[in-house]
Amino acid sequence: MGLLDYYRQFEGMSEEEVNAELREQAAERRRKALTRVETLDLSLTTWPELPHPRIVSAITFVARRGLHRYPHLSASDLRGALAEHHGVDPERLILGNGAADLLSAATRALLEPGQQLLTHWPSYPLYPLMARRAHGHAVRVADTGVDALLEAVAREPDVRAIAIASPNDPTGELLAAAELRRLLETLPAGVAVLLDEALVDFADAQPTSTSIELLEQHPQLLVFRSFSKAWGLAGLRIGYAIGAPGAGELLAELAPDLGVSEISQAGAFEALHSCSELMQDHVRAICDERPRLLAALRQRGFTVADSQANFVWAAHPTLPGAELAARLARAGVLVAAGDALGEPRHVRIAIRSESATDRLLSTIDKAA
Amino acid sequence: MRTDPSENGGLFVGRRPGTAPVRFRSLPQRGGDVRQRIDGSIATIMLAAITLLCLLCWGPIPIACLWLGSQANYLTGSVSLGLLVSFAALFALLFGALSLMKRLDNAWILVRRAAGYDQRTGVLGRIFAATAVVCALAFLLWFLVIHGPGTSLVARGGGN
Repeated sequence: MGLLDYYRQFEGMSEEEVNAELREQAAERRRKALTRVETLDLSLTTWPELPHPRIVSAITFVARRGLHRYPHLSASDLRGALAEHHGVDPERLILGNGAADLLSAATRALLEPGQQLLTHWPSYPLYPLMARRAHGHAVRVADTGVDALLEAVAREPDVRAIAIASPNDPTGELLAAAELRRLLETLPAGVAVLLDEALVDFADAQPTSTSIELLEQHPQLLVFRSFSKAWGLAGLRIGYAIGAPGAGELLAELAPDLGVSEISQAGAFEALHSCSELMQDHVRAICDERPRLLAALRQRGFTVADSQANFVWAAHPTLPGAELAARLARAGVLVAAGDALGEPRHVRIAIRSESATDRLLSTIDKAA
Repeated sequence: MRTDPSENGGLFVGRRPGTAPVRFRSLPQRGGDVRQRIDGSIATIMLAAITLLCLLCWGPIPIACLWLGSQANYLTGSVSLGLLVSFAALFALLFGALSLMKRLDNAWILVRRAAGYDQRTGVLGRIFAATAVVCALAFLLWFLVIHGPGTSLVARGGGN
């Protein structure tokens, strides 16, 4: 380096040069932003959007008012609102830290060590786990019909409870009200039915209140619902259980010892109070999109269960679920491979918007 | 509702205007300690040269130009030509000196950076103003005390 060059290297850039460079960098960022395609995550069953600002404001209000206190154990406001929403006595409804927590508590309350919990399979992976935590055994029934459950009850010596997800996660199948009634009427006394309706808001094949109506005649039925799916409040971990008239004693056993967080109560109450229509809009969009996705996948040779949930359970004609999921992931679309959910041939694909369906289908056409 | 006070939508930069760091085309490779000390000395010499040039602007250059004009007047007998030569020389020398000082000032910035200082601006303006004040005071001293009313008063006082 020459003497003058040595000193010239300390020359700063002029303002014009700096501005030109910044403009070029900004243009480059814009170019990249326009060409970048965000990953489309269809692997989760939770609602993909942020909660409504009113819900966040309600939570913030409660948080500012005083987190130094314990929450109200009775949660009478939310219980009252939910009871009114479902047309039941508030004494028949309890809140929990998510429907899963209540299901787990119900299993512990019902099962003696060594007794059995019956469940369809594939289904929600928590069911076998909660049977184990209650020192019992899970009996998995591969057939999804009610007859298979009744046969298993007759065959197995010590079935104490049946856990049914309706719509079922991951298959999306809904247990028809008539079938549920037949199951309840045929079951021997002493076998309880834990009906997990976390996804029932997405069902349009029958009114969502049918199971709650069945509670009037069938005290062995417990219905579990959640704010995690259609209401889009998975982070609050709040759900509730509804029992038959006179089931107060059992419900009291399921309730969390120290109640449900006041923040969760506030979010759920506000959602119920002011976001019901928004939730219905979300559900309607899913229900409108679901038949199109089902038909398009079947047209491509997929085996697809009749879903009443916000996802479909599909098997590619040739590819295993994990391989299909990996190929789609490489193309920027995430789906849940079935091996972790109990059936390796399948994938679980969440239903989103029309454009998401279009992108999924075009990615399947290219990648699979 | 936005609640993050640091989120201003890009409206403000996070520092006061004019305090941006110097951006180089490529990262400068500074010399060793000895080289930096030498560069520091060179920068001091350059600063002295700038100061000297500034001082020249406030006395010697105008006087030299007047002398040139007087020589032209003496040789040609033309007062107008003398004035013309004086002003032409004054403009040429003053602007030449200013241009030279500006170049020196820019070079001084680079040498100071090479010497390890975060030198962002030149020093010419401050030296120019300082030398103007010094020369004005010196002129006043000469005009009022040494050669002007002061000496007359002293002489008058002495006569009384």
